[in-house]
Amino acid sequence: MTKHTQAYVAALSPTQRRIAQLGVVFVPIVTQITDILRVGSLAFYYAFKKPIRWREVLQQSFFIGNRSLAFVMIVLGFLGMILIFQSGFQAKRIVGDLQGMGALYLQLLFREFAPTVTALMLATRVGTGIAAEIGSMVVTEQVDALRMNNAEPIQYLVVPRLLASIVMTFVLSCVALCVAFGTGMFVANTVFEVNVATFYNTSLLEWGDLIIFSLKALAYGITIPIIASQAGLAAFGGSEGVGTATTMAVVNASLAVTILDFVLSGVGYIFFFS
Amino acid sequence: MIEFIDIHKAFGSKQVLRGVSLEVKKGEIMFIIGSSGAGKSVLVKHLVGLIRPDAGRVILDGVEVTNLTEEEYYPIRKRCAMVFQNSTLFDSMTLLDNVALPIRKHFKLSLAEARSEAKAKLALVNMEQHAERYPADFGDGMRKKVAIARALTLNPDFVIFDEPTTGIDPISANIVDRLIRDLSDRLGVTSIVVSHDLRSIFGVADRVAMLYKGQLVLDGPPSLYRETDNAIVQQFINGRPQGPMEV
Repeated sequence: MTKHTQAYVAALSPTQRRIAQLGVVFVPIVTQITDILRVGSLAFYYAFKKPIRWREVLQQSFFIGNRSLAFVMIVLGFLGMILIFQSGFQAKRIVGDLQGMGALYLQLLFREFAPTVTALMLATRVGTGIAAEIGSMVVTEQVDALRMNNAEPIQYLVVPRLLASIVMTFVLSCVALCVAFGTGMFVANTVFEVNVATFYNTSLLEWGDLIIFSLKALAYGITIPIIASQAGLAAFGGSEGVGTATTMAVVNASLAVTILDFVLSGVGYIFFFS
Repeated sequence: MIEFIDIHKAFGSKQVLRGVSLEVKKGEIMFIIGSSGAGKSVLVKHLVGLIRPDAGRVILDGVEVTNLTEEEYYPIRKRCAMVFQNSTLFDSMTLLDNVALPIRKHFKLSLAEARSEAKAKLALVNMEQHAERYPADFGDGMRKKVAIARALTLNPDFVIFDEPTTGIDPISANIVDRLIRDLSDRLGVTSIVVSHDLRSIFGVADRVAMLYKGQLVLDGPPSLYRETDNAIVQQFINGRPQGPMEV
């Protein structure tokens, strides 16, 4: 607090001081949300404006997609096995019949599991990468150098990551769905002796499930790079600032994915499943 | 002419500049000196809109350039180049493409035209033979020379050098100093140099301004810095650990 601010705060009445204390908590949150919205709206503006750095989009797609593939497959594969193992035991104890397990599991994967868990994985894997890369560029003045060269940092750095993330989040969610279903099918077959043909049951799937799956993948694919880029662009103060930016990117992106999941599940329930 | 008028700037609770006023005349080499954190780099970045002041005005050739939009700063940045403290070359590009970038962005030239222009600028700093190599292959000194070549590609009227000789060997530092002098003498380029390097200050500067705790302490020719009895200036110039300066 500067001397000027200290003197100003000292002159406030107790009620005004309490309101000021609320401001200490809420002003940074509101500032950050408005900054995320600013970066997001500018990214969309530049996404429809030439030139698009397509080579960089491809490189970022490789970084987001190929380099996250093994991570997403391993995590989703194990989670799929655990989910079927635990739910299978419970179902066997309560209803004793596992014939509908595959159909319910597939529906769950489409509506919730595949896009959301993939996005949470990407929030850590890709979110940190983007925030650290852009944050390092900010603290080493490379972003300032871009501005000096008439290159708008959001157009130059954020747009390729946004476009790559939109495509690759959808692709990785599809891969995750297949892997989790495959490993779940394996456990159902080996542990509970559910026939593969019985487990592979799409009878409960509706168009609404496909739409919600796509909407969630799209929303997460947009949110993660924008939140991570904003964290990177707001970095200051050397390597410590880059560390803070990466932490902020993971926390904010994970929070955003969870909140979006709640909202979009609600939308799905209202429009398709009620 | 460049005028900084009563510039105030704080980052969060840290007040970096407290009413700095400074004039830089056309063709002059103005050195801005001071201890780390004195606000030297922050001050010069106000000229090209990389930092916006909390209060105060920046005037460039009689036109106020204090709070323009990013687009409005484009022509200013074409006239005022900047050599950053960290060189800021882009690691994914060759040296030649790094130097060609401002030409392509500002003049919308083809890649071939921009590269031919960039090659000539690399020759100015004796780096043309390394044109196709990447920044990661070189040390700080050579990267800094390329950064200077990049800053000169647009034939600017003003160049801001942020610690151009820090971290480079004495021979390269001499080449950089001579380049700054030549730019002023032969092309009339106005240079603002943020520096700690006493050898450069007393060898190249036309005028020196010293900042301490966000305020201007002394502004005058280099000879004044030897003569003054200002204790802060004397401690800085003589590098004494004891004195009124908080380091």
